[in-house]
Amino acid sequence: MGSNHQTFEFNAEFTELGEGLDILHRSIQLLREATGRAQDDRALILFETALGEIGGNVLTHGRPPGIERPVEYTLRLDGHTLVASLSDSGLPVHEHLSREMPAHDNEAGRGLAMARSLLDELGYERDGDLNRWRLVKRL
Amino acid sequence: MALDVETRRAENGVTVVAPTGRLDVAGAPALKDAINEVVKNSPPKIVIDMVGVSFVDSTGLGSVISALKQIRGSEGGELRLAAPNQQVRVVLELTTLDRVFPYYATVEEALTGL
Repeated sequence: MGSNHQTFEFNAEFTELGEGLDILHRSIQLLREATGRAQDDRALILFETALGEIGGNVLTHGRPPGIERPVEYTLRLDGHTLVASLSDSGLPVHEHLSREMPAHDNEAGRGLAMARSLLDELGYERDGDLNRWRLVKRL
Repeated sequence: MALDVETRRAENGVTVVAPTGRLDVAGAPALKDAINEVVKNSPPKIVIDMVGVSFVDSTGLGSVISALKQIRGSEGGELRLAAPNQQVRVVLELTTLDRVFPYYATVEEALTGL
C-alpha cells in the first residue's frame, strides 16, 4: 500500500430533515478538508449530489409516524474508494429502484435515477424492518 | 441550513429572484412560495440568480421546473437561470434539463434582451 493511501471515517445519527441534510453535507466538507481535495473536485461533487438524493429520500420517507429510530449514517474513505451507508425504518422501496429519468416537465421522480448514474454502485437491501443503502464511488 | 429568498426588480422591469443556501428537499418550498408571489403580482419575466445556491437536488430542480411551467403558461412569460455553480450545472446536464433552461454566466447577461 502506497504512502498516499488515505483513510477517513465519519459516523452520525439524526432524526430531522434539516439537521440530517446539514450533517451529510458537513461530512463531505470534512472529508474534502481532511484529504486536501479542492472545492470543485468533480468526483466529490458527484458523490455529494448522490448522497443528497438518497439522504433526502431517507429523511423524508424513512421515518414513518411513530417511529423514533434515528437514521444511521457512516462515511468511509479507504484509499480511492468512498462508501456512504444509511439505514432507515421506512417502507421497502424495491419498486422505485429501477425508475428511469422522467420527462423534462415532470417535477419529481429523478432522485434515484440521478443517484444511480452518479455512483459506481448504489446498493439497497431490506434487512428486517430496515432499509439499508450503500453508495460507492471511486475517487 | 434554510433557504433564504430575496426578490428585487431590475431596471428593465424583470424580477430577479435570488435564493441563498441549499435548494434541496428542505429549501425548495421557499423558492416555490417566492415564485408564486412574483407571478401573482408582476409580469412573469423572471431571472433566478443562482449565485448564492451552494447545492441543488432533484426536489430543488422540481421547484424550478414548476416555476418554468407556471411562467411559460402566462402570456409573454420567460424564466432564465443565472450564475449556477458547478454542482448545479452538473445536475442540469445529467438530467438534460440544460436543454430546457437557458442559463447564463451572470444576472446581467440573463437580463439582456428580456
